Amino acid sequence: MVRVEISTLLGSNGKINPKKMDRLAMVLTNLHNSGKQVLVVSSGAIVLGAEKMKMHQVPDNQLDMMAVAAVGQAELIRCYQRHFDDYNQIIAQVLFTSDIVDYPQRLENTRNTFDTLLDMGIIPIINENDPISTSDIEYDDNYPLALIVARIAQADVIVIKMDLNGKYLIVPGGNMPSLVVDGETELQQKIESFGTNGLTGDPYKGRNFPASIGEIIFNN
Amino acid sequence: MNMHYREVLKNKKRIVVKIGTSSLSYANGRMNFHSIEKLAYVLSAIRRQGAQVILVSSGAIGVGAGRLGLTKRPKELAKKQALAAVGQAELMKIYQKFFEEYNQMVAQVLLTKDVITIPERNRHARSTLLKLLEMDIIPIINENDTISTFEIEFGDNDTLSATVASLVSADLLIMLSDIDGLYNADPRSQKDAEIIHSVLDITPELEQLASGAGSSFSTGGMVTKISAARTCLQHGIDCLITSGSDPSILFDILAGKEIGTHFVANKQNTVHHA
Repeated sequence: MVRVEISTLLGSNGKINPKKMDRLAMVLTNLHNSGKQVLVVSSGAIVLGAEKMKMHQVPDNQLDMMAVAAVGQAELIRCYQRHFDDYNQIIAQVLFTSDIVDYPQRLENTRNTFDTLLDMGIIPIINENDPISTSDIEYDDNYPLALIVARIAQADVIVIKMDLNGKYLIVPGGNMPSLVVDGETELQQKIESFGTNGLTGDPYKGRNFPASIGEIIFNN
Repeated sequence: MNMHYREVLKNKKRIVVKIGTSSLSYANGRMNFHSIEKLAYVLSAIRRQGAQVILVSSGAIGVGAGRLGLTKRPKELAKKQALAAVGQAELMKIYQKFFEEYNQMVAQVLLTKDVITIPERNRHARSTLLKLLEMDIIPIINENDTISTFEIEFGDNDTLSATVASLVSADLLIMLSDIDGLYNADPRSQKDAEIIHSVLDITPELEQLASGAGSSFSTGGMVTKISAARTCLQHGIDCLITSGSDPSILFDILAGKEIGTHFVANKQNTVHHA
């Protein structure tokens, strides 16, 4: 499971940088081609919505943000489609709210959908369903959502963060500590080498995730 | 007769249009881009005339099947959900493309039926939709099929469209499908069967008519449409059922022409109006 922060895909002008987007699609498709099942949790609906609506900055109140997110979510998935199409990789859009953990039937539906999508060789692109979400929109930058997804899909590895310098912060399954790897080759190798224990534990612990890769390196 | 009931449809300001899979695709299951483009044109024009428009669109599963090169719709639920997740993204892309031609911005809102039952969610969804309308955006709504399995199995979004209409306090819900209205007899076996143009009350006799074999050939069937119409009437919302084979029929409906079956919300007012 890979968590993508929109900020890592923006150029200096604050707009999506197609080259970075293309690279992301390539890396993820390649990971998939190597035999791994890949899920993506991506933020970006608000940023893309604001851009589409020609706003100079992201709105600062909840209501405007939800409306902008409804416009932007369509733009975001379109952007992913465009770039994954270049690598002939089919993607799917999955939106839900974090309170899904309270609804066993929905959890099961969602797990079945993920399993089916992955079996069909499709990469699901997941985001919080902002327009109806009752949690703080985008403030948590999808950390809790990423962990919920990882648990539902019983992911073996979460790629928590990547940065512009090609560093990846990843959390393997089986209660192993998180680690920083350098570049795509090392990421691929590490993911290859991890077991298939699946992730365990409480997804809400994810709120304590470090804010940046720099912080991790510093703390370790 | 009853033409006067149609007068009220000329002044509708907040309109929910529900379009079924059959109106978006050919009988072979492939996308009918011509229909979709026309729908985008008509809805953009109506919005420009000053009305607020919400589109409730089915079709995600069919589009997903097409994207994956499947020739048949799967029967298995998990597979349908997976196709819906692929197809919803594709469908939005198609809508965006056509609406952009008319310089009309759209938004995507995926709902589950609990949007009605959970008060906080209800409030959020309502304010988001009203905000979008205020911004001159056309929200395109579908059931969130990945996590909810209700509409995928029943109703082809008929129920959802009535839920949306009441959520936003719409003036009118128009359900476009492959049925051009409710008939007083089975139109396939009885040549003199006629469309009932105005329904003032949903009586047991009417429901009996709707559950007849002659009117259950669309995915949703007439029963879920009648049920959606009842929801609308309970909220004082006019409701209209007709065929979506040519989306420009919406212009005629809003011009007060006698098309399809109109479930009249406000009888007294209407009669005075006439």
